[in-house]
Amino acid sequence: MGGLNTSLSIGLQALEANQGALNATSNNIANANTPGYTREVPQFSENEENLSGTEVTGGGVTLDSLQSVRDELLNLQIQQQTSLQSSADTQSSSLQQIQSYFAASSGNDISSELTAFSSALAQLSATPTDSAAQQGVLSSGQNLANAFNSTASGLTSAQTEADGQVTQTVAQINSLTQQIATLNGQVAQLAATGQDGGTTEDQRDELVQQLSALTGVSIAQSSDGETITTGNGTPLVIGSQSFTLQTTTGSNGFKQVLDSNGSNITSSIQGGQLGGAIEVRDQTIPGFLSTLNTLASQFATSFNAAQAQGFDSSGKAGQNFFTLPANSADAAAGIGVALTSASQIAISSDGSAGSNGNIANLSAALTAELPSGDTPAGAYANLVFQVGSAESTASTQSTAIGQNLQQLQTQQGSISAVNVDEESTNLIRYQTAYEAAARIVDTIQQLNTVTLDLGSSESF
Amino acid sequence: MRMDPNNVPEILADLQQSEVSLNTALQQVSTGKRVTLPSDDPYASAAMVQNTIETGDVDQYTQNVSTVLSTIQSADSALSSVVSSLTQAVSLGTEGANSTNSASNLQAIATQVQGLLSNVVSQANTSVAGSYLFGGTSTTTPYTADASSPTGYTYNGNDGVNSVAIGDQKSVQVNVPGSQIFSSSSNNVLASLSNLVTALQSGNTTDIGTATTAVSSAISYIGEQRAIYGNSESQVNSQETFLQQDTVTLASQQNSLIGVDEATAAVNLTQAETDNSAALAAAAKVLPNTLLNYLSQPS
Repeated sequence: MGGLNTSLSIGLQALEANQGALNATSNNIANANTPGYTREVPQFSENEENLSGTEVTGGGVTLDSLQSVRDELLNLQIQQQTSLQSSADTQSSSLQQIQSYFAASSGNDISSELTAFSSALAQLSATPTDSAAQQGVLSSGQNLANAFNSTASGLTSAQTEADGQVTQTVAQINSLTQQIATLNGQVAQLAATGQDGGTTEDQRDELVQQLSALTGVSIAQSSDGETITTGNGTPLVIGSQSFTLQTTTGSNGFKQVLDSNGSNITSSIQGGQLGGAIEVRDQTIPGFLSTLNTLASQFATSFNAAQAQGFDSSGKAGQNFFTLPANSADAAAGIGVALTSASQIAISSDGSAGSNGNIANLSAALTAELPSGDTPAGAYANLVFQVGSAESTASTQSTAIGQNLQQLQTQQGSISAVNVDEESTNLIRYQTAYEAAARIVDTIQQLNTVTLDLGSSESF
Repeated sequence: MRMDPNNVPEILADLQQSEVSLNTALQQVSTGKRVTLPSDDPYASAAMVQNTIETGDVDQYTQNVSTVLSTIQSADSALSSVVSSLTQAVSLGTEGANSTNSASNLQAIATQVQGLLSNVVSQANTSVAGSYLFGGTSTTTPYTADASSPTGYTYNGNDGVNSVAIGDQKSVQVNVPGSQIFSSSSNNVLASLSNLVTALQSGNTTDIGTATTAVSSAISYIGEQRAIYGNSESQVNSQETFLQQDTVTLASQQNSLIGVDEATAAVNLTQAETDNSAALAAAAKVLPNTLLNYLSQPS
């Protein structure tokens, strides 16, 4: 039969267990807004019962552990979606910058300058000997060349910016993988001793989450913690070891990403800021640039050919209106006006100063099909469509993934996030239990006093 | 089932979304445009490239039409003045062919016809804005006095013809060279006048009669040449009507491509405002709501 001391020890255990639960509750409330924190739930279990003769008494309570409530599968999904979204966001922000060069509202885009050039030629047709009209054609031709130059430089500078982002992101990835490896080792140690990863795991998961915004990763669980690789299998973290990515300048002048063995993995990187920046830099912008260069070079060639069919104001055969750089890959960036004076425009078809016969040829060069199969305006319109639809695709994608991500996060929140109302209720619950346990100790103490006083003279 | 206790991200996302819609609606109402950046509507932006160029061209063609009209009208009025000089010459010639004229009378008539010849030459040298109407594509004075020439004048222009663009792939002839109107080999108007002067001076009534008939046929020849201008003028006039219609078509195309229907835009704006207020009101109600508000304060 258990004595009063049994009850006292049960009361004491109850005090300790509820104190632990109160600690967990206060910690939950304290971290209600900490990113990556998962709520901890106290795990109580009843102690083995005491057998005294034929009588069985309960053994009290033990607080086994504080268990973090998390769903690993959900975390993985969130990481994947984060990679996709951050890739789309990176592309969208770069494309937004690019598309401002193609917006007709700016007034000095290629479309507006092409319009002005075409109008100036039509005006010259009516007044071929008017020097102001001649000057109008020359300067609008100059403006058109400038519009090509500035559009090309806008594209190139967005490309350079994406290149800078590659270097920065790789540095961030390296710093994160190092921290993750350290935490990964600690979590593995805790797991080996059967303990819950708790805060360490929260911290690691939060860093992995940040990593997935930088590049697409795939994660596998192993006995020594998580194994994190890029999408194509290049290891970033294995257990407590991290692998550093490097960058080096490639033959195209842009930074290439190398794995820890020095192999070039640039083209296989997908997802995240890094994947987005590489896609924009190596695929999207080069595509636009090549279309623009083809247009600039074919247009200049066709206009020069029309110019060669006529004669300038002094009766000399028309010389090239536009100059093109030797390298056709720089056509848009390097196109310029070759003529130094408006009198060199080949207006005349017969060599006489008053003839306007060749203007029809010059104007026709603006509307004739280029070797690409499109008119200059048509080719440019295609480019505008490509740029616009690339931006709209990227931002629509980002919005769609964002909604998906929000849903996943809500789901994760419903499992792992701290609910202050719930914690307040628990606080009252554990407080009551603690008060009751304290009453047990108090009662046993009184009973002990009564027992000790038995037979003393003062009690009678 | 446990709910996600943290509704702040969702509330923020709702607020942000309603603010984006509000901004878009506001921008559409204030600019009247649905598309300002290519990504707003890639197809419409691409179509606008062509539309902008065509609109610019049509504006310029419309200006060209009025330039061409004024050139053609100047030429026509010069030719009309030439015709009246020639008509006068015919009546003078008819008068001269009458055998009752004294030699001095014939001399006086010859001087008058000579005056008419120089009048015709000065019409043939008409210039508008620095360029000669009847000098071909040359920029030199078409007719200058030349004693060695049988007509007393020599043609310095060429036989070039200019056409002005008044539409895409559409141009109209704006000049007939002097070598064709005034001094062509088959119908030389200037020569017919100078022959009449010579005949009058010689006093031979038969010659005078022949020369007068030549001047009469020159009148009908000038009439034929005026028809070229008349033809251009009617082309220009019909093109002007077409350009006016085209301007309207292009403007309405532009409006349907990138413009916004004002009524729809206004309704969208009101809707966006309502949505935004609702999102804000909901946030204000939900955010401060916790159990702690209802628990009694510890004494």
